[in-house]
Amino acid sequence: MLKLICSILLLPILLSAQTKISGSIFDSGNQPLPGANVFIKDTYDGVSSNQDGSFSFETEEKGEAVLVVSFVGYNNYEKSIYLDGTPINLEIILEDNTKELRTVVISAGAFEASDEKKGVILRPLDVLTTGSEADIYSTLETLPGTQQIGETEGLFVRGGAASEAVTIVDEMVVQKPFYTSVPDIPSRGRFSPMLFKGTIFSTGGYSAQYGQALSSALILRTTDLAEETTTALNFMALGLGAAHTHRWENSSVAVEGGYYNLAPYFNVVEQNSDWEKAPVGIESSFNYRVKTSETGIVKAFGSYSYGDLSLNMEDIDNPGNKTSFGIRSDNYYVNLNYREILGDDWTIFTGASFSYDLDKINISADKVKQDEQLAQTKVTVTKGITDNSFLTFGGEIHNSIYNDSFNNLSAGLNEVYTAGFVEADIFFTNDIAARVGLRGENSKLLNKLNLAPRISLAYRLGKYDQLNFAYGKFYQTPHKDYLYYSTDYDYENAEHYIVNYQLIGPQRTFRIELYYKDYSNLAKGSTQTYPVYNLPPVQFNNDGKGYAKGIDIFWRDQETIDYVDYWISYSYLDTKRDFSNYPQMAFPTFATPHTLSFVFKFWVPSITTYFATTYSFSTGRPYFNPNNPEFLGDRGKNYNNLSFNFSHITTIFNSFTVIFASIDNVLGFRNIYSYRYSWDGAIKRPVVPESLRSFFIGCFISIGEDNPYN
Amino acid sequence: MKNLLLLLLMFGFVYSITADDSKYEKAMKKTLELMDSAKDVQTYVDIANKFERIALAENDKWLPYYYSALNQTLASFSDPELSRKDSYLDKAVKLLEAADSLQPDESEIYTLLGMVAQARLQVDPMNRWAKYGAESNANFKKAKELDPSNPRPEYLMGLNLYYTPVQFGGGSKAAKPLLEKSLQKFEQFEKSDDLMPHWGQTEVERILNEIKDLEAKELEAEESEELSPEK
Repeated sequence: MLKLICSILLLPILLSAQTKISGSIFDSGNQPLPGANVFIKDTYDGVSSNQDGSFSFETEEKGEAVLVVSFVGYNNYEKSIYLDGTPINLEIILEDNTKELRTVVISAGAFEASDEKKGVILRPLDVLTTGSEADIYSTLETLPGTQQIGETEGLFVRGGAASEAVTIVDEMVVQKPFYTSVPDIPSRGRFSPMLFKGTIFSTGGYSAQYGQALSSALILRTTDLAEETTTALNFMALGLGAAHTHRWENSSVAVEGGYYNLAPYFNVVEQNSDWEKAPVGIESSFNYRVKTSETGIVKAFGSYSYGDLSLNMEDIDNPGNKTSFGIRSDNYYVNLNYREILGDDWTIFTGASFSYDLDKINISADKVKQDEQLAQTKVTVTKGITDNSFLTFGGEIHNSIYNDSFNNLSAGLNEVYTAGFVEADIFFTNDIAARVGLRGENSKLLNKLNLAPRISLAYRLGKYDQLNFAYGKFYQTPHKDYLYYSTDYDYENAEHYIVNYQLIGPQRTFRIELYYKDYSNLAKGSTQTYPVYNLPPVQFNNDGKGYAKGIDIFWRDQETIDYVDYWISYSYLDTKRDFSNYPQMAFPTFATPHTLSFVFKFWVPSITTYFATTYSFSTGRPYFNPNNPEFLGDRGKNYNNLSFNFSHITTIFNSFTVIFASIDNVLGFRNIYSYRYSWDGAIKRPVVPESLRSFFIGCFISIGEDNPYN
Repeated sequence: MKNLLLLLLMFGFVYSITADDSKYEKAMKKTLELMDSAKDVQTYVDIANKFERIALAENDKWLPYYYSALNQTLASFSDPELSRKDSYLDKAVKLLEAADSLQPDESEIYTLLGMVAQARLQVDPMNRWAKYGAESNANFKKAKELDPSNPRPEYLMGLNLYYTPVQFGGGSKAAKPLLEKSLQKFEQFEKSDDLMPHWGQTEVERILNEIKDLEAKELEAEESEELSPEK
């Protein structure tokens, strides 16, 4: 018994014999990892690794134990060890935690702007500070793959027409992403960049979740709950606006209203057009968000805008005569959606949207009315398979109703479009991933089905660079203007082939992309003839075709010079197509071989001011000259533009204030977009910008009601 | 004899409980002391790791998680390498999530979340001010609601304002009332537990002294201007 007592009393002494544990910690690339936490599980015993990755500590624990190494961004390492006083030495390699650290990103064809994700090319603020007048689309025109078309709005991507690009807000198609415009004067995008937390601009090879766009998809994700309660006022040379946002614990509401009137501006800055009524209008929006759970959110967005303008345009066929042209437009838009994560690996999205657009156009004595409505609903389900891989499937239904009239003549269409898609994002390793998808669509008017396979591969080469490939088939229903004549059409079709190399470092980005796009079944048809060619009117059919191929290069550097961020985009494009009213294959009027953009931004902290300048260049585009026997054989002038803008941040009456101004075409280049001919070819008129330079000035004041500093 | 054995075992058992508790307190106090002299990234990470080890071994105490997160945040502030700053904060947020699950609605945890947002903002102020400025405000607001006597939300807000340019609404004049309020709360604060957060008071006093010096200098400059015959 005494022996037992002795041994019990001795036990602590025996136990206090220490075991020394030492070794080194490396990552999978054999780089030492300093600062990792090395310890015996369920004890305080442990140490942090040194600069060279080495570690050494002693423990008084005995027997079976588990050694743990933890380090942010890496998977925990655990090893069973036996502690009996014998020194232990270990070489430990930690594996990257793929969820947190860089893995390959499926990104062929796309530019992404996000605050939440790592390894994206743009930030949402770039969208706000780069383009003129905070227009999303003018920022996108500084990226490679887009054309700089001054006389009309829209995204002209890689030889594609503007109608081949779709804008998607919270998974649903926007019928009219731009304000209604007048011939030869471009309009702006309807949505403020402030509404969105994420932007994906795909110049090709986009996901099977989206369809009905032969060239490009702009995918916008709206912000979640507003961060705080604020009231904002903005004053611009063109108008004024006010917004109020209220934030509660689990919900937020924002209402916004604005009025614009360009008359004062037109009095100061001379315009080329003879305006009878300078554009006036109102814009209003409503935004409601509610968190239904830790992971669920309901979003409702509604907007109404109204615009009115009229001007006298020269009648090129009757020199000296003017034709009056007026538009009044109303636009209603509602988008309601719900997203929730169910269990560990199911995400469900359901949404519905409705838009109604009414344009009343007066051309001299003629009255044109265009009435379009689109109702749609979409469901998308995502199921996680492993840590990174997931499966997405869903479907959507659109109902579009068109009612157009010209004086007493009227025509209408009622289209029901249904689509289903399934797509798998598979991460084979951290370095190799694939997205394989299939989309099926049906149009009631065409009464035809299509199946569009899409595939995108990504292969990571190093820490920051990767190779991407994409292939996809894209279908689009011909424009309503064709369907009014006949619904005996098939889908227009494009096939994309993309190879891309990109290096996205923390502060520098380089991206080069080669592409080939093969168009077939393009819609053709026109009732007009080309007098000089002595050809019959173009038949209404699907016999159009074409191709586009080229190289897009992008370089961005935020590192070399302090407080300076610049990017350069260059696009080379070779394209020909036979479509619409073309009598033969030709280089289209909205494309040019060389396009260059240089964006330079710098921040001067001492005066809290942000300066940005953009230089754009593009070679001349083809234009139609009835006197030239070669169809679209003429080339316009090269385009040059240097624009400049600044934002000064300050406080006025204790409120956060931004004063901004921009000047377009600072150097006064006499740009000519294109030429327009009279019907007989005798009169030629240049299509030029509305004014030599354009100006924009305004200020934005945010009155934080919840400012805790007060 | 059996009774003696039982007694010994029982004694051992009781002893081990009190030993464990004092072991926790001893380890916490020792590590807290290390914080006082910590200045560089490596030391902060080392201390954060020590607290994390205690947190994981104890499993039901929020303070070691909290202190580990605090030291990760301080490491982020003191690491000159921009590309690494976010990784400490990612870790800090995880630790605070663990702390929050053990001690919900804790003012100190929200205070620290506000500080993490301030640190996030510093990584890329140009792009992040909108998001993280609001996030830190919201967390400080919540922290104040949960415990109006907590001096640290005002301290951190004041500190931030003090180093913010006047054009952004910062500067010593804007910071002073907040820091004074914080100091007042620090002085009224009664230590309930040695392990509870008590950091910040000396820093508040230091900055308030700096502001006082600054004001004195300004006053002097004004007076000499008034006295100068050219004027």
